[in-house]
Amino acid sequence: MTLSRDEAASTLRDISKTERRSSELFGYRFGAPHLFLWGAIWMVAYGAGYYRPHWTLVWPVLAIAGSIGSFLIGWRMKTGRANAFGWRFGGTFLSVVLFIGALFAIMPPHTDAQVAAFFPILVALFYLLIGVWTGGSRMIVLGLAMGALTLYGFFNLAPYFALWMAVVGGGGLILGGFWLRHA
Amino acid sequence: MDQPNAIIHQPVRLKIMAALRALPQGEQLEFVRLKAIVGTTEGNLGAHITTLEEAGYVAVEKDFVGKRPRTRVALTKEGRRAFEDYVSDLRAIIDATRADS
Repeated sequence: MTLSRDEAASTLRDISKTERRSSELFGYRFGAPHLFLWGAIWMVAYGAGYYRPHWTLVWPVLAIAGSIGSFLIGWRMKTGRANAFGWRFGGTFLSVVLFIGALFAIMPPHTDAQVAAFFPILVALFYLLIGVWTGGSRMIVLGLAMGALTLYGFFNLAPYFALWMAVVGGGGLILGGFWLRHA
Repeated sequence: MDQPNAIIHQPVRLKIMAALRALPQGEQLEFVRLKAIVGTTEGNLGAHITTLEEAGYVAVEKDFVGKRPRTRVALTKEGRRAFEDYVSDLRAIIDATRADS
């Protein structure tokens, strides 16, 4: 059997399409547990922000716990690719922390609500970028939805913003995790 | 190259190999996910996986998660090499015909 140029090109296109799909699903499987974890953290932390606003340590404590949890999830699911790029994930995390530090030093937020809205917007941006760069359409949808819901709550539901983020933001992340896992 | 690798050059097996090649080395893919990616029936997928396993291109691992049976498939080193050779051969066909024209 001899393959023509067109047949060879068509076969390469099929291979590329299948690899993209497989890679996308692998990314979803890798990302879903992180969404479950951070969805639960958002529910608790934003919920506490609404019902117990004087509990100022809830966010820092849960953010540290969540970071450790994410690291452990990544460790449990570690793969050749995760190992190879491990230092990049660490480098990215550190870069983001430095960026936020610099940003807040230049433009300090004036209200707690601004801080509470900033981080979900940042996470939404990451989801969008991951989706754009990996071809993961579900990540794009999640990023857009999270960004839009955060902005809606910030501008239209100011008195209930923390509660909105607990239910819609946290719940949305958990639902998003199920959505990715069942892709 | 006149004759492509006959084991790989079959639409379902090609997709199985491509789906597994996209994963990090040694990473396994569950049968149900592979079925979703390849888009074929369980019986057909199982038969083609057996062909690839007999050729030494994939490794199959069966276990239980609770009471639920689970089958996972991974590309072997030999399979990865064979698939990369196959892709190189396809590219060579395209390059050769481009040079001729």
